[in-house]
Amino acid sequence: MQTLWQDLRYGVRMLLKQPGFTLIAVGTLAISIGANTAIFSAINALLLRPLPVENLDRVVSSYALREGFDPFGSSFLEYAAYRDRSHCFVSSGVATQHSFNLTGQREPERARGANVMADYLITLGVRPLLGRAFSADDDRPGGPPVALIGYGFWKKHFAGNIGVIGQSLNLDGRTYNVLGVMPQGFDLPGAAEIWIPLQTNIENLPLTERAATSHEIVARLKAGVSVKQADVELKAIARQLEQEYPNFRRGWSVKVISLRQDLLGDLEGRVRKALFALVGGVGFLLLICCANIANLQLARGIVRQRELALRGALGAGRCRLVRQLLTESMLLALVGGAGGLLLANWLVPALAMLNPIRGLSLGEFLHNFELDQRVLAFAVVTTLLTGVLFGLLPALKATGAHELMSRIKETDHRSGGAGSARRWFHGLIIAEIAIALTLLVCGGLMVQSFQRLQRVDLGFNPENLLTLKMALPASKYSQYRQRIAFTDQLPERMRNVPGVLSAGITTNIPLEREIAYDAIFNVEGRPPPNPNEVPITSHRIVTPDYLETLGVTLIKGRLISKNDRAEMLPVVVVSQEFARQAWPGEDAIGKRVRRIRAGQTFPWMTVVGVVKDVKEDRFNYRINRPVWYVPYAQVENDFPVNLIIRTAIDPNSLTAAVREAIHSVDADQPISNVMTMNTNLSTVLVTERFGAVLMGTLAISGLLLASIGLFGVMAYSVSQRTGEIGLRVALGAQAKHVLGLILGQGVKLILWGVGIGLAVAWGATQLLVSLLFETKAADPMTFASIALLLISVSLLACFFPVRRALSVDPMIALRSE
Amino acid sequence: MNSNELTETQPTNVVNGNGVHPLIRLAGVTKVFLTDEVETHALSGIHLDIREGEYISIAGPSGCGKTTLLSILGLLDTPSEGSYALKGHEVANLSFADRARVRNREIGFIFQSFNLIGDLSVFENVELPLTYRGMSAGDRKALVTEALERVGMAHRGKHLPSQLSGGQQQRVAVARALAGRPAILLADEPTGNLDSRNGEAVMQLLRELHQGGATICMVTHDERFAQHADRTVHLFDGQIVEDRMAA
Ligand SMILES: Nc1ncnc2c1ncn2[C@@H]1O[C@H](COP(=O)(O)OP(=O)(O)OP(=O)(O)O)[C@@H](O)[C@H]1O
Ligand SMILES: [Mg+2]
Repeated sequence: MQTLWQDLRYGVRMLLKQPGFTLIAVGTLAISIGANTAIFSAINALLLRPLPVENLDRVVSSYALREGFDPFGSSFLEYAAYRDRSHCFVSSGVATQHSFNLTGQREPERARGANVMADYLITLGVRPLLGRAFSADDDRPGGPPVALIGYGFWKKHFAGNIGVIGQSLNLDGRTYNVLGVMPQGFDLPGAAEIWIPLQTNIENLPLTERAATSHEIVARLKAGVSVKQADVELKAIARQLEQEYPNFRRGWSVKVISLRQDLLGDLEGRVRKALFALVGGVGFLLLICCANIANLQLARGIVRQRELALRGALGAGRCRLVRQLLTESMLLALVGGAGGLLLANWLVPALAMLNPIRGLSLGEFLHNFELDQRVLAFAVVTTLLTGVLFGLLPALKATGAHELMSRIKETDHRSGGAGSARRWFHGLIIAEIAIALTLLVCGGLMVQSFQRLQRVDLGFNPENLLTLKMALPASKYSQYRQRIAFTDQLPERMRNVPGVLSAGITTNIPLEREIAYDAIFNVEGRPPPNPNEVPITSHRIVTPDYLETLGVTLIKGRLISKNDRAEMLPVVVVSQEFARQAWPGEDAIGKRVRRIRAGQTFPWMTVVGVVKDVKEDRFNYRINRPVWYVPYAQVENDFPVNLIIRTAIDPNSLTAAVREAIHSVDADQPISNVMTMNTNLSTVLVTERFGAVLMGTLAISGLLLASIGLFGVMAYSVSQRTGEIGLRVALGAQAKHVLGLILGQGVKLILWGVGIGLAVAWGATQLLVSLLFETKAADPMTFASIALLLISVSLLACFFPVRRALSVDPMIALRSE
Repeated sequence: MNSNELTETQPTNVVNGNGVHPLIRLAGVTKVFLTDEVETHALSGIHLDIREGEYISIAGPSGCGKTTLLSILGLLDTPSEGSYALKGHEVANLSFADRARVRNREIGFIFQSFNLIGDLSVFENVELPLTYRGMSAGDRKALVTEALERVGMAHRGKHLPSQLSGGQQQRVAVARALAGRPAILLADEPTGNLDSRNGEAVMQLLRELHQGGATICMVTHDERFAQHADRTVHLFDGQIVEDRMAA
């Protein structure tokens, strides 16, 4: 204890004696530890922290899949089959997202909710905070009208009053009794605030309803069963269903993923990959930092050899000396770690703003990055580890001298630093450059990929667009003509609002974070398609003026017009991709297509126009999918409607006027999701943005740290070689010779680093392939330009040391004693 | 004008008594160091001619300006005033690069501390100034071998300096100084770091070189070694107080 205290005091003194070294070391450490801590806070929030679902990592959810399409919801048919035939699960349940029109309170409001099977909540292992959950009795068909409400909803609508149990709620024109309040933050499925029992006997439903893919399945794995095993088993069951219900199930498969992955909106596993890539990135940064400080320490160790030799002569064992030096390193690491925590404290909120997840559920947990105990523990461990990592090698090197005499002689010989230590310097700096290059290449690829994604042609003009969603309540709009009347009237009314240029209605806004509708179609004159290759299109039902308002590009024919009414010829406007798939190499105009669905016949629709591809699907952002637009007046539906408004001024400034105009048509109509198109778009590429911004930042930091490292080594080397350089100049070396000597050393290090780095980067980028868009992992341009960038910056880092070398006075050769 | 050439400033009257240019002529050379507003007159009004083939020793108390004088002779430093002609050519206006070239070709240095480069072998150390001339490898090898043979170190060419004794190292340093066949050898206390036996050996070597025709200018404290020279210049407080030919 006594000696530790002594070591500490001496360590503090040594660090204060060399403020330049201490500042660089602490700064580098703070940056690396801060970055590591911040990224870990994201990992913690997204992957590690417990969520209000019991034993989350044993819960899975399933998606219905068709080759090459968006993931679909699941059907009751599947649910029942999985429940009855699978041996993987302890329990399973199903839920259907459902938005309620909440009335009888203040302004009519739209609230997210769900119809859930009692087993759904049991499978998730959530229990109400107040009151009770649904019993089997509540859940039977014809059961009582009861509801559970969310914690936030309770606070907002019932002021957190405990007496809420038994009070009534008016949902979609029906009265429900509140049965319980769910725990804070719980909102599955889909950010639900209200849950009502499903009250459905699946077996009694007509087959068309049982086959509808609009539900969400969760299941809890039996002990010892892996997600993979469940996936394999359910895929087998899905194949049985294809045989049993060929009309409905042919071509459908299933994918089982862990609930956590589902919550991250990460069906393709990109978030997880991006996070791991970033972990790799910050880890690399930390390595560069350690190499840097180890180098500085090595250099100091050489300078301090006399001191250490003296201590040795006075009887200090090697252990004692190593401990002394390690204490200093630890001290440095701790100060750097404290700085890192300060930095992280500031970085974490910024990181949270860049949140990479697209999922809606459990946002209160998943969007909340913070420095909790686990993150703090991580920071402390990282700090200590760093201290050992950069402290041990120099300490062992500095104290490992056996022949002191040869060392004293060596210093007399104008050598460029003690031989073996120099090999370490060079090895470390080469490693730093190689790592920095790897980081830069990965960052460069991810940034490029992100930029390409951002520059993707959306097929419409997103500027100055305001969008909002309305579900037309069945109580008022049970008749289709009532809905048509509303959708006819509303855009007209909007045009009278000052600042509005035009308005239209669609059943899905492009790229919105809601359930998007698809349709299976049939092309006239083509044999009924192979059931395994059912053509599917995005299905958009729109009013006249919608396509103009959105700003699509008409390639051929016309858009939907006011004259496309129910009694007129059924028409359709298709996208280029649709036309390409349906009539390759032919003119689409005048051709006919029709929607198909088991148990229903739809009329043939004549193609009247072809528009440039519009990005409609969030999941398929990276490709162009077929889309068709059909007139609202010609296709009976009860989908929620979305109003889009093209404005002449800032769309945000019009929200009040727009609400007013809607309520002048229908005073009770609930309105939700009021936002600009750009706000909507900003949520599309969150994972990619997160990856690109972070990897880019890491790469730049890596470049900086490696340059500082190279600068340090070169500066140190020049200072060690001053005598040698002076001697050479005295012997007639010209500026070019000195330049060659010093720069040559730098260039050699740089080229080695770049060479090794290129190889490492080539390997590392192979892991990024699935994250990249229209960017080859082994893109030679990127590799070449990054290598060039690194070489130029490193040469710049050599500039001052070289200049110093060039100004060495040859008199030094005479003056040394 | 080709900047490689020394500038001829005094074409006519630099002729010495026996009808040739002195190898070196310093006229009115003064060196003033300015440090923190303190002026140090390291040299004042030095007139010194060195003829080819002379062996001069410069002596005097510590701080009298010996090293300063040598550094000016060796083109490591420039006089504050006065002129310096080498082989009849004024050196004052030479560019940095030309000075380096002249140092490399005309001057051989022997330093007090042997100033060998620890990472280079004995052979490479001797070769170093020749590489700065852009001489071919074959020519260099011949000159280096010859120089090493002169100092009796040819058999140690592959060794590193740290594997040699102090006296051997200084012999290598002498080999380096003479390998390029310079016009003059400058030595600043070449025996300062050696014991008397090794010092004696180096002195013996210099004397042999002198007998072989080399021009040598050596700074030494040691009266005994000063006697090896055939001319002794005594400095005091930056001035020449005695310039005596040996008997
Ligand atoms: N770069 C310099 N700046 C300031 N003063 C200097 C410088 N170099 C030499 N001097 C001063 O010039 C004077 C002569 O120095 P010089 O090194 O020539 O002495 P010296 O005769 O070689 O002495 P010694 O026998 O101790 O080597 C001294 O007073 C010294 O302090
Ligand atoms: Mg001196």
